Amino acid sequence: MQTAKTSTTPLRQLALHSTTTCSSHATIYGKCMLAAYTDVRKDSCKQEFEKFGQCLREAVCLPRGDKESIF
Amino acid sequence: MSLLQVVARHATRPWTRAFASESLPPATSGVYKVFDRAAKRKQRDRAVSRDAGVGSRTVDYVRDEVADRMMERLLDIKRKFNTIVDLGSGPGHFSKLLEPEKTRKVLMIDSSKTTLNRDRDEEFEVEVERVHADEENLLDVLPRNSQEAIVSCLSLHWVNDLPGVLVQIKEALKPDGLFLGAMFGGDTLFELRTALQLAEVDREGGISPHISPMTDTKDISNLLSRAGFTLLTVDIDEVRVGYPSMWELLEDLRDMGESNAIVGRRHFLHRDTLAAASAIYKELHGNEDGSVPATFQIIYMIGWKPSLNQPKPLERGSAQTNLKDVL
Repeated sequence: MQTAKTSTTPLRQLALHSTTTCSSHATIYGKCMLAAYTDVRKDSCKQEFEKFGQCLREAVCLPRGDKESIF
Repeated sequence: MSLLQVVARHATRPWTRAFASESLPPATSGVYKVFDRAAKRKQRDRAVSRDAGVGSRTVDYVRDEVADRMMERLLDIKRKFNTIVDLGSGPGHFSKLLEPEKTRKVLMIDSSKTTLNRDRDEEFEVEVERVHADEENLLDVLPRNSQEAIVSCLSLHWVNDLPGVLVQIKEALKPDGLFLGAMFGGDTLFELRTALQLAEVDREGGISPHISPMTDTKDISNLLSRAGFTLLTVDIDEVRVGYPSMWELLEDLRDMGESNAIVGRRHFLHRDTLAAASAIYKELHGNEDGSVPATFQIIYMIGWKPSLNQPKPLERGSAQTNLKDVL
């Protein structure tokens, strides 16, 4: 986790926010996939992922100043 | 006119058939190519060069653990060797543990030059010789019937022609020579494999290979006996490692030089798919404390090159004691 926090490459940002800022949305999506995993097809958990993805996009795209004020 | 038609037909046939068959160029050696060995060598070179080797040393934990367990097996063999060949040695995870009571010298062979020379400054207890060579062409560097013992610690899972390499190992050994190996088994990283597959199906509607096909445990003894080894011992073991999340696992795998090197692999993962996989990984496999496990299944194998003065199993039915009485 230390490495994720101290770096700002896009992938690290994605790693950071998917496990912290958006972890509740991640859990909802993960639980949906867990319920469906024996019969998954495309967009099985579309709605859940859209919320998760939206949260990630907002978190990753915050301007630099705001980002620093959060952490 | 008719000649032209014939020429045209011959010219178009391979072109159109290329769509129907796999898009890979035909393997020149006649062996089906699963892994891109050149890409693997680059990945391993880079893994060691990155941050002056700091990352690479941080992720030695899996290989060091397995080298340690493999050493226990070598110590069970009551024999002192003059030279042991460490095939696919890396910087020497296994060779570092060798003691003068067991061997005089170790010959490290690896296809990645920077990995091979990473720990050149460190002290080894036995004499070390490093040879930069491709594991797939072992007989180019070792003469036939020349070695007392060959070991391989977690390198054979990137070999395209595993049966062929095992045969080469047997050929390079002297009669009654020892082969001791450890390689990743089929359940290795099953958590990551399933998480990525589920994420790809849900997000993109299809899957592509991200985790190597690894040798099934039950195939190993067949492969060893097919290569001509006798007195086989094969056993399985697991190393389970906990990570804060899938992201740290991916980063560590990269630093180990274990990134995907399957021929025809996709060179990127969509970020949506990656984020989805990390969420699925946690829910499907996660521990109660919020961390996620990764399983490394290890197959240990011991085989001997046949020799006339080797102990042989007695003939069936020749036993004097009933096994029931003993058990």
